[in-house]
Amino acid sequence: MRSSDNIRGRLVLPNGRETSFNANKTAGPEEAEKQAEGDDGEAPTVVGITYPNIGYGYKSVPQSQNILFKNATVWTGEAEGILMNTDVLVRDGKIAAIGQNLNARGARVVDATGKHLTAGIIDEHSHIAALAINEAGHNSSAEVTIEDVVDPEDIDIYRNLAGGVTSIQILHGSANPIGGRSAIIKLKWGESADNMIYDNTPKFIKFALGENVKQSNWQSFSRFPQTRMGVEQLYMNYFSRAKEYDAKKKSGANIRYDEELEVLAEILNGERFISCHSYVQSEINMLMKVAEKFDFRVNTFTHILEGYKVADKMAAHGVGGSTFSDWWAYKYEVNDAIPYNAAIMAREGVVVAINSDDGEMSRRLNQEAAKTVKYGGMSEEEAWKMVTLNPAKLLHIDDRVGSIKVGKDADLVLWTDNPLSVYAKAEQTYIEGALFFDLTKDASMRAAIQQERNELIKMMLDDKGGNNGAKRRPGSRPKQRFTCETL
Amino acid sequence: MKNIFKYVLAFALIVSGTSLAQQTPGDAQSGAISVTGVTAHIGDGTVIENATIVFENGKITALGDASTPTRGTVINANGKHMYPGIIAPAKSLGLVEVNAVRASDDQDELGEFIPHIRSLIAYNAESKVVESMRPNGVLLGQTTPQGGRISGTSSIVQFDAWNWEDAVVKEDDGIHLNWPRSFRRGRWWLGEPRGFQPNKDYSEQVSEIANFMNNAKAYGKATDTERNLAFEATLPLFDGGKTLYLYADGEKEIIDAVNWARDNGIKKYVLVGGYHAYKITDFLKRNNVPVLVSQTHALPNFQDDDYDLPYKLPKLLDDAGLLVGIQNADMSNFQTRNMAFYAGQVVGQGMDKERALQLITGNNAKILGIDDMYGTLAVGKSATFFVSEGDALDMRTNILTHVFIDGRAVSLETHQTELWKRYSKKYGQN
Repeated sequence: MRSSDNIRGRLVLPNGRETSFNANKTAGPEEAEKQAEGDDGEAPTVVGITYPNIGYGYKSVPQSQNILFKNATVWTGEAEGILMNTDVLVRDGKIAAIGQNLNARGARVVDATGKHLTAGIIDEHSHIAALAINEAGHNSSAEVTIEDVVDPEDIDIYRNLAGGVTSIQILHGSANPIGGRSAIIKLKWGESADNMIYDNTPKFIKFALGENVKQSNWQSFSRFPQTRMGVEQLYMNYFSRAKEYDAKKKSGANIRYDEELEVLAEILNGERFISCHSYVQSEINMLMKVAEKFDFRVNTFTHILEGYKVADKMAAHGVGGSTFSDWWAYKYEVNDAIPYNAAIMAREGVVVAINSDDGEMSRRLNQEAAKTVKYGGMSEEEAWKMVTLNPAKLLHIDDRVGSIKVGKDADLVLWTDNPLSVYAKAEQTYIEGALFFDLTKDASMRAAIQQERNELIKMMLDDKGGNNGAKRRPGSRPKQRFTCETL
Repeated sequence: MKNIFKYVLAFALIVSGTSLAQQTPGDAQSGAISVTGVTAHIGDGTVIENATIVFENGKITALGDASTPTRGTVINANGKHMYPGIIAPAKSLGLVEVNAVRASDDQDELGEFIPHIRSLIAYNAESKVVESMRPNGVLLGQTTPQGGRISGTSSIVQFDAWNWEDAVVKEDDGIHLNWPRSFRRGRWWLGEPRGFQPNKDYSEQVSEIANFMNNAKAYGKATDTERNLAFEATLPLFDGGKTLYLYADGEKEIIDAVNWARDNGIKKYVLVGGYHAYKITDFLKRNNVPVLVSQTHALPNFQDDDYDLPYKLPKLLDDAGLLVGIQNADMSNFQTRNMAFYAGQVVGQGMDKERALQLITGNNAKILGIDDMYGTLAVGKSATFFVSEGDALDMRTNILTHVFIDGRAVSLETHQTELWKRYSKKYGQN
């Protein structure tokens, strides 16, 4: 906002109200004068900045280390299954070796006796760490991308790490049949938004079906579509236009660049994947048929609560299902949602993930996965894959993350107990060999936050008794928490 | 006898399998039933290994180790676990079926001070959401109106009934009061900024409560006056006939609410919510206030709070010597089937498993005032319990094989299990 000697900007007052200000520089710095009258005051307390610069930020961004986990119960997520009394060596941010009695060769040794080591959890459907979720004015918003609004300072990133989550897909909301593009990020707490987004990130876009895109549950009666019938034709229309646009472009003819149609053409060309919010069987079936008419495949149905009714068709189409463990009854279209959905789809050969769409549930997705053991009798290994390897497959990042395999990124979680147990706690969470959550560090940061709060309160009290005598009201700007339906 | 019992159960399943309403309620218990070889989690902090439980006419008649003589039909539950039915306080179960469908929503009546509004008569005994509680061990609930300052009067029901009269366990048990907040988020629709700000109306809102209560008291003492249903419904608060449920989360709000209730002759009161109760446990203990804390599966309310504060809050209060239970008033009703896991979460924070179980059974029964019959396994109490293949507080092993409410064998089938079976069969998965 600085422009030569004039500054202007936004001012947040202590009472939470906002205003703007303009200031013109009329004289030079007054440092010399300050020193002269410096007798009555001490040097101001400077609180060091942290990464990110909020509570639970680190003094520096965690760096990758070479580590040897000794004697862990290792949930590989691969054909090897669960290995007892096993060592895992991490070097240069990658998993370098898995075996017995591995040599540390200078790596930091972590005694994991009695503990469980797993790949980091991956949430296919998240809305944390974003400054906005829905571009809802129009029935297609393929021109927008969540990558532009990643918020690296969201405390929910830290809380997800504390629940063993290392990667998430931040999806656009479900306000329109064609939503915005996704951001797929690693939860590198303290890094910039750009550094959180995957390198060579797979390209995704959110689609949505059903009550939200029909605007059934709020007073809106004028935006097309208002029925599931209309939703189909909307897709037919957009994909026809994109096909014509793409053909013209490929023919070398002059075209007027259209961001929206560029994105849709990427879908037709297999370069961008759809994750589609969906509930009832008719619409699920419909979108698969639309895709088949245009000779592409839907990548993921997310929510997909009636996926169990068309699981055989989904398997044939080759689409994955990313679902809630046990949600239902919140709207009419989830009347037939059942917690056995994940198990039925998995048994029919669909790649199944359990997701959150919720900042609370995302930090205990391990427990949500465990519910598939109760509902439908999945084995513990298969249940665990539903929050690690399977979402990695759905996001096309399973060559990098999702299991403990030599060569994959060292995105690892050390648990106090079987990770599917309600009693388990994530003790340490690593991304590419860097320690991004640690119970011990957490305890010391709690103490530091308390200390800093006390100091700030004291400063405010001193200030109150000082020359200006101003009373300051406490104020805050609460963060807005998002789900699919946040407008 | 055993065969007859089996036949009755099978018949109930066949009949219910073809119906679209809730599963058919179980018949009244006709003969003695004994469960043997089970690990009995009593709900008061104790366990009996390899236990035998005998129940007749809906009541437990014997409970002890393997040497306890059996009577009637014997259910061998070797290696399994028995728990008292889980109790869900402060929920609108049966008052709303599908949140987004207004026609199915009866939970929030117009008006700010409406203690005479009674949940019981709107309780849908055939709710599919209520039905889905049972296979997870949640067998009783306090069906509670929502919204306003005084939301109305709740009743306690059991979850296997033909109608609300069958369902009722304790009629008109309590009045629910949402204490005002001293800070509130800006009402942006009125042009206020969104941030937290002091609630300028706090004192006025508190005095509205005081005025209402004083008027109710005065009404109770007057002899010749028009009938006032709202005041009439309030009067039992002053003689212990109803409990006052005070919903408050902040330190100041809790202290104001408790001081007010104590000083105004409210005989029984319970704190609901209590997010900051851990900061004032001495005060709460001094005033002997039980707390129904919010479900552990919640995010911290403030950015700098410990990430696990909601996980451990019940433990912090229990460690301080308070009587603590868990409710999930803020959650969608369908989530109430996860009550057992809310308790399990606290075990991960270092609470003893049996003590954690109390948070949703024995303690909730005491707090709701139904501990004479429910909440623990004991001779003379209602035979309201369930048997699980394994540890019921853990998602993986909460797999129920038997549910009894007042001695009636309750179906474990639901709308959801029927769909599961139908489609498993379609694909040849079973």
